[in-house]
Amino acid sequence: MKKTKTLLCVSAMVISGLSFAACSIGNKPASNDTTSNDPASNVTTSNPSSDVTTTETTTSTPEVDYHIDLEDYKLYVKADLKDYVAGIVKQVTDTTVLSNIDAAKTAAQTSIEAGASVSDVMAAYKAGKTAIAKCVPYANGVQSFSAESNEEKTDILGTLEAYAVRNGMTGISLFENGGYVMYNPRVKLGTENYIPGYGFGTLAEGSITADLANETNPDWKRYYHSSDASDPGTANYLNDNGSQVADYYGYMGASFFTTFMNETKDGYDWVPELAKELPVAVNEENGQATKWKFEVKTGASDGLKYNTNSTKRAKYNNRLVAPEDYITPFKLLLTQSNDLFRGSEMAGATSGAIKGAKSYYDASKSGFNEEAWKKVGLGITEEGGKTYFNVEFTTPLTQFYAMYYIASNLYMPVPQEFIDEVTVANYLGYNADKTETPIDNSLSLGAYTLEAWETDKHVVYKKNPNYVFASTKYQIPGVKVSILKAAASDETAVIKEFIANNLDASGIPQTMLEDYKNDPRTRKTTGDSNFKLNVNACSQETWEYLFGENGVVAQTPKAKYWQVKPYLGNSHFIKALSLSIDRNTFADARGSIPSVDWLSSNYMSDPVNGISYSTTQAHKDAVAGLLRDTDNGYSLDLARDYFRVAIAELEAEGKLTPGTTANPTVLPLEIAWMYPQHEKNYHNEIKQYFEAAFNDVSVTGGKYKLEVSFWVGSAWSDVYYKKMMLGQFDLGFGSISGNALNPLDFCSVLSSDQSISGGFTLNWGLDTNNPDADALVYNGARWSFDALYTAANSVAIVNDGVYVPAVTFVDEVTTKNADGTITSTLTVKANAEGVDFLAYNSLISNDDWTVYEALGAAAVATVDNGDGTFTVTITVSAALVEKYGESFFYEVLYITEVAGIQVDTYVDIYVSAAVAE
Amino acid sequence: MTKYVLKRIALAFMTAVIILSLTFILIKLLPFEQPVGLDPQKFAYYQDQVRLGFVQSFNKAQTNKGKLLWSYSSSGQQYYYYQVPVFQQFFNWLRNILTRWDWGTSVKIQANVAATVIIGERIKVSMLLNIFSVVFSVPIGIALGIWAALKKNTITDHIISTLIMVFISVPSFVLITFLMLWLCYGAEVLPTQWPSASAPFDIRLKAFILPVFCLSFGSICGYCRFTRAELCEVMESDYLLLARTKGLTKRQAILRHALRNAMVPIVPSIIAEFLSIMGGSMILENLYGIPGIGSLFVDSLNAKDYNILFVDMAIFTTLGLLAGVLLDISYGFIDPRIRMGAKK
Repeated sequence: MKKTKTLLCVSAMVISGLSFAACSIGNKPASNDTTSNDPASNVTTSNPSSDVTTTETTTSTPEVDYHIDLEDYKLYVKADLKDYVAGIVKQVTDTTVLSNIDAAKTAAQTSIEAGASVSDVMAAYKAGKTAIAKCVPYANGVQSFSAESNEEKTDILGTLEAYAVRNGMTGISLFENGGYVMYNPRVKLGTENYIPGYGFGTLAEGSITADLANETNPDWKRYYHSSDASDPGTANYLNDNGSQVADYYGYMGASFFTTFMNETKDGYDWVPELAKELPVAVNEENGQATKWKFEVKTGASDGLKYNTNSTKRAKYNNRLVAPEDYITPFKLLLTQSNDLFRGSEMAGATSGAIKGAKSYYDASKSGFNEEAWKKVGLGITEEGGKTYFNVEFTTPLTQFYAMYYIASNLYMPVPQEFIDEVTVANYLGYNADKTETPIDNSLSLGAYTLEAWETDKHVVYKKNPNYVFASTKYQIPGVKVSILKAAASDETAVIKEFIANNLDASGIPQTMLEDYKNDPRTRKTTGDSNFKLNVNACSQETWEYLFGENGVVAQTPKAKYWQVKPYLGNSHFIKALSLSIDRNTFADARGSIPSVDWLSSNYMSDPVNGISYSTTQAHKDAVAGLLRDTDNGYSLDLARDYFRVAIAELEAEGKLTPGTTANPTVLPLEIAWMYPQHEKNYHNEIKQYFEAAFNDVSVTGGKYKLEVSFWVGSAWSDVYYKKMMLGQFDLGFGSISGNALNPLDFCSVLSSDQSISGGFTLNWGLDTNNPDADALVYNGARWSFDALYTAANSVAIVNDGVYVPAVTFVDEVTTKNADGTITSTLTVKANAEGVDFLAYNSLISNDDWTVYEALGAAAVATVDNGDGTFTVTITVSAALVEKYGESFFYEVLYITEVAGIQVDTYVDIYVSAAVAE
Repeated sequence: MTKYVLKRIALAFMTAVIILSLTFILIKLLPFEQPVGLDPQKFAYYQDQVRLGFVQSFNKAQTNKGKLLWSYSSSGQQYYYYQVPVFQQFFNWLRNILTRWDWGTSVKIQANVAATVIIGERIKVSMLLNIFSVVFSVPIGIALGIWAALKKNTITDHIISTLIMVFISVPSFVLITFLMLWLCYGAEVLPTQWPSASAPFDIRLKAFILPVFCLSFGSICGYCRFTRAELCEVMESDYLLLARTKGLTKRQAILRHALRNAMVPIVPSIIAEFLSIMGGSMILENLYGIPGIGSLFVDSLNAKDYNILFVDMAIFTTLGLLAGVLLDISYGFIDPRIRMGAKK
């Protein structure tokens, strides 16, 4: 799957040669230290691997003045200012603006120098930042960079990332989830060197050279044997938001385009799979186009046939693929009444969105809507005996991204009559009485076809002889995924099965790393996601706005209000926490890759040429502050220094008050994890790092004590759904991955606006639609994060740096007329020039929406007032008023089009008895 | 007798209804379990709750429907969800069961599949395991108990009693973990995981060995201890002395009189033990990959898949009550002095 976001679970899952096995027992961090370089004191610091308890340490230590020297503090602040200005000036070419910035910077430095206290210096720094930001004009108007080159988009991504890192929006990165995988010697891998984003080519290019002796079914002895910790219960990836079902669906899925290993076995190439050629631009302009077409394989022209191992659906076996079958999956996904999760995601997409998809989705809540479907940018045409698939995107795309966005196996053709027979609810899954299984309710065009599914025991796939590359690729005759429920709680369960010769692959748990790391069966992989501690940096006020009783993100009863930690809102405190983690030791002990990045090396800035974003200068500049003078982001001395800076600031702001050495002020810090075993695997060591750095006597003289605690829920996903997504956390462990070939689009998960992030925001604290709090400068203008993100991926209406919707409803008046009709008059304001405004769809419904019908286009009239506002008049006939009674709803959907991109807006009008009277 | 049995069954049925009703009501009285996930998933969950009659939906905020559970805007339409009063939920639940035998469908374990179907396909394995373990443990436990009683205060008795005291403390899941390492992964004489239903018969048969032994282990110890105690007491009774004085051999006296009397409390304990084994298999099923209702109970509780939980509860409750009926009836067969339903 190419364009989805997925919450990642660190589990012992091994499928198709990829392993995610980061659960293992933690070793103590190596002894690293040392003596503090704190100029204010010459106190020897403690060893981070020792069990430091501040109270014990400090009771025997003389009083230490831990407060940072004011002059030293000024040095830190001036360094921050320097970095801040450096990020701005590289995006500014106007000499006047540059001159103003320089003057503002000098003034700020002077004010900082003149500060007589930490408070003065903080105020001077804040005022200086604001003055410098004001030198840069706001971005305004309709803005779009979606057609820019890869280099320019990398620059935008670097700008967004630098802003996010500076403001703690990317969390505290721990490691990239690469590691060690063991393969049974009977498995001949496609390549011995792991290819990022592709793997070892185990199934596509690999082979099996001997029988698996312990396999009892003689037909399955040469199948590839992998495992999973739980039975997904369905292969319906169309209605799933995780990564597990996607893997099961992936074996039998096929797409227009796919990837295979290149000839030199060091990368991969994109090749047509169901398509017969790469996309051809229809309305090409500057190398980009919104309309694309490409020839596809069909049963008539290429003998493309479905495959099934079901006896119940035998009539579909070898059924030829008809041209219209290519449209069926899109209709299936986008028809809202089908309630398919991936359909709602597809309709809400901003990047690679298909024209009219959202409008159709919205117009299909009661079933397929023929009229609305006609406006969707999808079609099949026949030209000269060839069949072409046509797609129109909302934004211009290069050939690569046009291919990338349409290359999802979710769009694998399926006959409509098959869906009608199995029903949407049962497609790819079981029916209610289990007389039909996923084998009966699926058809394959992919490399494998479902052969057996025994609940909680195994899922088995057999090679699909009809697969388009059946003769050259996927030579392994089948795949058996054993369900190993013990793996959910026992991190050694999989490797024990592997060693017992029941599996072909296994990750290596931490406890066995030393035993098997250098085993000849072991291979090293890189990761596809970075795991991190996400931060709740909200002030209490912001938290209440987001998550309070009337929160805009979630509504929390007062009794369950989270007490936010003011120190997590201090950027120096967050930086100090990050600096205190010895990532090299931590990652090495787990066979993973140390990293301070929020994107793994899988994310490409130039996907055509395989250039990873992590290798670009834009990225290196963005994370320079995390790496400077450190060992891969670790420096105990710097961590302690930054803690002291943070404490000075927090005390100056009145947010913290020191205790005494005998009774220190306790700073609680809860870390939420996925699994109970994460306590020994990760938490204890992280706790050790944090506490050893902070609780050293040189930091606060024993007046404060950091106490790190552990939290885990009953399900691994609780850390997301019950903690981070509801703001009920301090730090939360986890990762989100997706869209590795378009990391700029993936920046949506950093937005605090749920309509942009799709609900995947994990780090909280900053309003990402505020261009004034911290200057985000690109192309000589000042933006909010949301505005630049949206402009970079599609089109944004920007007002003084702020991202605004296309239209705003100003006023609404509803009256009942003498003839029994009801009239509503709406005043709507367009928020930018060039907004095409079109009343589109209107419905009337009874009070609880159990009965509703279209009002009809004639009922809605729109008048352009010429002053940037429109008047919309809706008339409900007397007959409808009578039918629906005197208390009903009607809604009107408006499509606005900005620079060729559709933006939909709704208004709901409730007509009460009072109005009717 | 028939009348008594029917009466007992009717009472058991009523008790089951009361237990399940209370379970349902108490669970529903807990704070409403908010679904987790992204908004579209929550929306689907709430719509399903509306279908089941547990939640009601409105398109504007209500002032007289209690606390707002969740509100959602989809395609411009606003949904406000409120919990249906608990007793109304209860009656909706009962109505679904009685009129359509609809216990609901799974929402997480196997989405869309009827809860009764999921339970139905798993109960066979759990029942087989438990029956086998009872069959295995009863004769061994009783035989050991008899042997210990007959050798009372000898070295044999001391060894048996000491081992029993030690092994009775070892939970079945600890034992199976150890035995899996030793016999499955080490000696490789038994399957490492419960095999597929399509595996050869000999492997499926071998797969019973570990779980049956581990489930029986505690029972064997229990039966042994209980039998020894009962038999020792009976053997010291006057009527057994009388039997011996009548000229019966020791073997005849024990077989004809002592054992039968000792069995009166032991047989009912077999039924009780059967139920405790069912409970004890929950963790063991997970460890050995056995697709039974024990692990399902834990999974559904963790996943808060309440429809499955209620059916699972119904199974355990029904089994428990039927066991009680059987237990009462069994007294009549074991001890002729007890007459079922006899009037004074």
